[in-house]
Amino acid sequence: MFARSGLRSTQRVFAGARNGAINVTKRAASTSSGAEASPVRLNIAAAASTAVAIGSIAWYYHLYGPTAHAMTPAEEGLHATKYPWVHQQWFKTFDHQALRRGFQVYREVCAACHSLQRVPYRAFVGTILTVDEAKAMAEENEYDTEPNDQGEIEKRPGKLSDYLPAPYKNDEAARFANNGALPPDLSLMVKARHGGCDYIFSLLTGYPDEPPAGAQVGAGLNFNPYFPGTGIAMARVLYDDLVDYEDGTRASTSQMAKDVTEFLNWAAEPEMDDRKRTGLKVLVVTSILFAATVWVKRYKWAYLKSRKIAYAPPKDANVQHRQ
Amino acid sequence: MGFWDTITDLVDAATPWSTAEAEHPDSHKSPQGDAPLGGNAPAAPAKEISDETTAETDKEEKAEDETAEVKKNEEPAEEEEAEEEPEEEEEEEEEEQDPKDKFEDDCKNSKQCAPAKHHYDECVERVTSQESEGGAKEDCVEEFFHLAHCATQCAAPKLWSTLK
Ligand code: HEC
Repeated sequence: MFARSGLRSTQRVFAGARNGAINVTKRAASTSSGAEASPVRLNIAAAASTAVAIGSIAWYYHLYGPTAHAMTPAEEGLHATKYPWVHQQWFKTFDHQALRRGFQVYREVCAACHSLQRVPYRAFVGTILTVDEAKAMAEENEYDTEPNDQGEIEKRPGKLSDYLPAPYKNDEAARFANNGALPPDLSLMVKARHGGCDYIFSLLTGYPDEPPAGAQVGAGLNFNPYFPGTGIAMARVLYDDLVDYEDGTRASTSQMAKDVTEFLNWAAEPEMDDRKRTGLKVLVVTSILFAATVWVKRYKWAYLKSRKIAYAPPKDANVQHRQ
Repeated sequence: MGFWDTITDLVDAATPWSTAEAEHPDSHKSPQGDAPLGGNAPAAPAKEISDETTAETDKEEKAEDETAEVKKNEEPAEEEEAEEEPEEEEEEEEEEQDPKDKFEDDCKNSKQCAPAKHHYDECVERVTSQESEGGAKEDCVEEFFHLAHCATQCAAPKLWSTLK
């Protein structure tokens, strides 16, 4: 609004100036015999207009030049370092052995507080677990049945089509058990945070032994530079050798964090491997089609490219020269 | 068997490359397959304690157990743990530092991060002296950020070549 009305007013000013200029030239034309403008006055005009130009720039920078930072760096949080994740490369898939390890970390550590409610057991089949393993794992949990003839809801063991159970009955129970802080669902966490995998890895491994001197850490909070505000309700959860990997990988803190982060990336984006394969198929097909079009073009243009235009001058005998 | 299956079978039979099959992971199966969720893991010393209690399938209790387990690991001086764990294992743990910490410590002391470290150390000194005199007027969060940024940036490629 302001900008537009401002523009309009400048237009008016310009229009006025133009009219004035026309008037001036008219007047100048009619009084061409008058005195010439003195060089001093011209110099003053030039100097004044230059001063106005410079002044307007200065005024602009005074108004809009310095950017206002509403938040201190601590409130923004430390920007996560970029790690060279292999699965994020164009032609690379998830490392499914890493996913298996990551799922183990999720089950043994994170599942105590965080749900993963958008992931069904069937999603694990063929990607992380075998059918039998996934079935066995699903059967360890109980789910509500449909109401029976008397309208009672009974319990049944889980099936592959069931979703992972949440650690708490509802958000209130989760808050109550965690000092009022809600451990968010991790299904889409990698997509839900700026920095994605890098952020989660940094968050899990970034707890310093003690907060830097002078830093304020609220009651019940832990210092983590990567969490915006630096005070996070989740304490450090990963410690060296917390889990025992079934494939014998050494469970250092960073190894577990890397695996669980890749697993969470899979949970948020289970279609990634297929998506990349489809992308490669598209490249293959389009390159074949492109090659075909090049050949077709050559074929269609062949007669144009290979034709020869020759000028056969008429024989002398047939030409009548007029001289 | 539809028409399409026939075609894919024919294609499969004709393709020169073979299909890769993942190895069967069953050989690693643990004896305790019955504990909810966490059951698939070979028993770690700290885990054994919680496995006994997870017989009740009440999920909330289980959750608390695991939380307790996590907390437990924060304090290595836990009595139960100390009883069960053979001593060599603890020594091993102390020897093998987390590679991330190791690389980052190296990086912090390298020339690359010297300016950031210098600022941070100076700030810590200043603030601790202020604290002893009454109250700190500032904090070293920003200096810490710069140092951590430098160290993680420098350690990232080394760390990724070490981790699996
Ligand atoms: C003791 C319970 C507990 C455990 C175990 C736990 N968390 Fe959390 N987590 C929390 C709580 C509580 C919060 C909310 C923190 C807040 O909002 O201050 C949280 C928040 C998070 C966040 C969101 C941070 C953000 O930017 O909002 C992520 C990501 C996360 N946890 C990942 C994990 C992973 C991965 C694990 C397993 C390795 C794990 N957590 C284990 C309690 C836990």
